[in-house]
Amino acid sequence: MSTSLKISVSGVRGVVGESLTPSLVAYFAASFGEYVGAGRVLVARDTRPTGTMFENAVISGLLSVGCQPHILGVVPTPTLQMAVVKLRANGGIIISASHNPEEWNALKFVNSSGIFLNDNEADELLDIYNQPYTNYVAESEYRNVHIAENPFGIHKDKIFSQIDSELIRKSKFKVAIDCCNGAGAPYAKTFLEELGCEVTAIFTDIDKGFERTPEPAAKNLGALSKLVREGKFDIGFAQDPDADRLVLLSSKGEALGEQLTLVLAISHVLEKTKKHGNVVVNLATTKAVEDIVKTSGSEISYSKIGEINVTSEMMVKKAIVGGEGGSGGVIWPAVHPCRDSFTGMALILEMMASRNESIDAIVKSMPKYSTVNSKVSCSGSRASQKVIRELREKYAGQKPNTSDGIRIDWEDRWVLVRPSNTEPVIRITAEAKTEKTAEDLAAKFKDEIEKIIS
Amino acid sequence: MQSLRLGSAGMRGEIGSALTPTLVINFASAFGTYVEGGKVVIGRDSRSSSPMLHIAVTSALQSCGCKIIDAGLCSAPFLQFLVTHLKADGGLLIGAGHHPAEWNAIVPIGENGAYLNNRRMQELLDVYHNGHFRNCVWNKIGKLEPLPEKAYDKYLDKICGLIDTNLISARKFKVIADFCGGSGSCLAKGFAERLGIELIPLNDTPTGILPHDPEPRPRSSFQVKSFMSHLKADIGFVFNSDMSRTAITTDTGETLSEEYTFPLVASHILLKSKEPCIVVTNWCTTRTLDDVVAKCNGKVEKTKVGQAPIIDDMIELDAKLAGDGSGSVALKDSVPAFDSYLTMGIILESMAVRNARSSELAASIPRYHIIKRKVNCHSSHAYTLLRNLKSQFPGAKLTEHDGFRFDWHDGWVHLRSAMTEPIIRMIVEWRTKEEAEEKALQVRSLLERLVG
Repeated sequence: MSTSLKISVSGVRGVVGESLTPSLVAYFAASFGEYVGAGRVLVARDTRPTGTMFENAVISGLLSVGCQPHILGVVPTPTLQMAVVKLRANGGIIISASHNPEEWNALKFVNSSGIFLNDNEADELLDIYNQPYTNYVAESEYRNVHIAENPFGIHKDKIFSQIDSELIRKSKFKVAIDCCNGAGAPYAKTFLEELGCEVTAIFTDIDKGFERTPEPAAKNLGALSKLVREGKFDIGFAQDPDADRLVLLSSKGEALGEQLTLVLAISHVLEKTKKHGNVVVNLATTKAVEDIVKTSGSEISYSKIGEINVTSEMMVKKAIVGGEGGSGGVIWPAVHPCRDSFTGMALILEMMASRNESIDAIVKSMPKYSTVNSKVSCSGSRASQKVIRELREKYAGQKPNTSDGIRIDWEDRWVLVRPSNTEPVIRITAEAKTEKTAEDLAAKFKDEIEKIIS
Repeated sequence: MQSLRLGSAGMRGEIGSALTPTLVINFASAFGTYVEGGKVVIGRDSRSSSPMLHIAVTSALQSCGCKIIDAGLCSAPFLQFLVTHLKADGGLLIGAGHHPAEWNAIVPIGENGAYLNNRRMQELLDVYHNGHFRNCVWNKIGKLEPLPEKAYDKYLDKICGLIDTNLISARKFKVIADFCGGSGSCLAKGFAERLGIELIPLNDTPTGILPHDPEPRPRSSFQVKSFMSHLKADIGFVFNSDMSRTAITTDTGETLSEEYTFPLVASHILLKSKEPCIVVTNWCTTRTLDDVVAKCNGKVEKTKVGQAPIIDDMIELDAKLAGDGSGSVALKDSVPAFDSYLTMGIILESMAVRNARSSELAASIPRYHIIKRKVNCHSSHAYTLLRNLKSQFPGAKLTEHDGFRFDWHDGWVHLRSAMTEPIIRMIVEWRTKEEAEEKALQVRSLLERLVG
C-alpha cells in the first residue's frame, strides 16, 4: 500500500486528511516532548489553512507529556529557531510544509541549539516514536500554555545587531516584496521600512491561503515581476510560505533564480567581514560561489543536500557563511545557523548600499553559469546505486564527490546525479558557462545513466 | 487497575495512564463523524489537564470539518444550554465533574442538550470502535466561531424565568456558595444580581486544584459550615466543579446529606404545581423522595443511575422534574441537564414562598439514615459476583433494573457496579443509624468475602 506520509530526517510530512491526521501529529509531538525531556517547547506555524488544526494537536501532545508549550503563532521558520535559543527552550516544533502545495503539511523539529535535528537526533526521536509506550504525565504534573509576546522582535534584533542599518537607511531603497501570504507576511513590510525602504508588499493576507504556487520559482512570480517592471523599484524580493527561502528580482522585474541569492549574499559577507574563512554550500550549488570564494582567498566545501547537513558541516568547519544554492537559502551564522530570507534581504540591501550600485550592475559583475535539470525513471535503490558506482569508476580522474549521489566537476562545469527521495527517479543537474553546454552535459549523462540501467 | 471507561457518560479515564491525546482525538473524531461534520459546541472545566483535552478535541473536530463554537471554561449545564440555544448538532463537554482529581472525561451531548441516551451512545461507540473517521482534506477543515456575546445572559434569563425572582429578592438572603475551584463561579455575580441575594463565594477561582472531595456531601461542606454562623448566612451551597450537583448547609450549620437536595426541590415544585406530576429518579435514591412525592399525590418513576437515563426518561415520560440522590436536579421546562444554579434558585424560592429558614425547610421532610460505601472490584468480576449475591437475602423484594435492589419494609440495600470506576457502590438506607450501620456491615463483609 502506498502512502503520502513521509517520516524522515527533515520531519514528518503528509497530505492532510489522507495521511497526516491530528492523532498522528499529537502522538509525534508527544514523542518529541518526551525526547527533549519535557520543559519549554516552542510551537510555530505557517499560514496554511490546516495550521491551527495541527497546532492544536501539537499542543495537546506536548501538554500530555508535561511540556510547557510556548505558542509563537504565525512566524517565519528562522524566527522559531532563534527564539529557541533566546528563550532557553528545550526545542521547537514548526508546522509548515515549506514550499509544498496547500494540501500538504508537516512538522519540523528543532533542538535546543535552534537548529534542525541531525540524522542521529532524528533517529533517536523516531526510536521513541516507534515504541508502543509513551511517558504521559499525571494530572498533577500538567503545565500551562504560554503565548509568546513579539517573537519576531528576537529575530529582527539579531539581524540588526549584525548589519549597518544606518547605511541602508540612507539609501532609501524602493522595494517590492511578495510574501506568498506566508509566515513572513506580518513582518516583512515593517522590517524593510525600518531599514528605510519604501515598500510595496503583495500577497500579505495570512488568512487567504496561498494565492500563488508557493515555490518561489520564476514561473510563480508573475505578479511581483509585473509590479517591479511597471513601477520604479530598486529590487524585488520573493519569500516562500515559511520565509526561509529568498529569491531576488532585478529592477527590470526579472527573477534572478534561487542560486543567485546565495552568490550575492556570500560575496557580500566575504567582502564585509574582510576575513578569510570557510564557506559551506550543498552539492547542488552553482560554481559561481566557488569562483567567488576562491578569488577571495577563502576555502569552500560541499555538504550533502538538506538544511541540517549544511548547518552541521558549517559548524564543524566554523564557516563564516554558507547555504543552499538550489533553494535560495542564505545561512549566516553571525545571525543564526539557519536559512533566513530576512537575513538575506538585509545582506543584499547592505551590499547595494555599500557598493552604491544597482542590483543589475552587481549581478553583471558576478560569474555567470547556466543550470539545466533533467531526470531518468528509476525505481529501487539497487539500480541507482549501480549508476553511482559505475559513474564513480568511469570519472575517477575527476575526483567525484559521492557524499550524496555523485557530483563530477570540471574546470568550468559540473553535473550532479542523485536519486530522488520523493519520486522513483534519478535527478540530473548540470551546470556550465552557457545554456547549450549545460544542456549537452545533461543529455550526455541522461544517455549514460539509461545505458547503465538497461 | 482499570483506568479508562467508555460508557453512558462518554470517555473517562485517568490522566497519564489512560486518557491520552490520541484516544481523545479518536473519540472526538468519532463524535465529529457521528454528527456528520455539523456544528458542535465545546467547553471545559478547570482541571489542569482540561486544556489538553480541549485543544485535542478542537483539532479532531476541525479535522472532521465541524463548525466549532468554543465556550471555553464553562459549567456543564451552561454548555448543554448552548447546544440548544445555538441550534448546534451536538456538544462535547470536557471535565470530570465529581470524579477524583487524577481523572478527566469527555461527555458527548446530543442536539437536544441532553447526554446521549444509551442507544445513541452505542451508535457513537460503534463509530469509535470502527475507527473510520471523517478526516477532511485541507480546504474542508472546520472553523472556530466565537461565543455569541449575550450567551451568558440568555442562560441566566432562562433559569430565572422559571423562578419568582421578585419574591426571592424581597427576602435579601445572604448565601454562601462553594464552587469547588470549578467553572461555575463565572456566572455567580450575574445570578446573584438577578435574584437580589448577597452571594459570598468560596473556592471561586477556577484553579483546577480541588479544595476538597469534589462530590458534594456533608464531609465536603466543612468550609461552608465554618462560615455559616459567623456570617449569619441564611443558607450555604456546595457545588461540584461542573455545577451539576448540589448539597445544602442550613443556617444552623447542619450539613445536609446530598440525598435531601432533590426531595426538598421536589416537595416545593409539587406544592407549586396545581396538578399531580411525575418525578423521575434512579433506583438508589432515598425513600424520603418517595414519601415527599406520595404526600403531594405525585408519582415516582425509577430508572438506571446516571444523568443520561434520568433525563431521557424525564423527556420520554413528560415528567415535571428529575433528579437523584447525588444532589442532582433537572426541570422539564429548563435545560435538559442537572443544574446547580437552577437547584439553588428553587431552594431559595421555596424559602421565600414558605417564609421559612433553611433549617425549617430541612426539618419539613422525613429523614432516613443512608450509608454509601465503595468496595474495590473489577467490573468484569462485579457482574457475576453481584448475580451470585442475589440468593443471599431471601426475605427481601428484589428489583433488577440497575444492579440489585433489595427492599425490606423498613429499609433497603442497593448494589451496583459503577460505570466510571472499578468499584461496587453499596447504598444502605434504614430508619435509624444503628439499623443502617448494622446492615451495611453485614452486606459489606459478605461482599468483601466474595471479592476475595
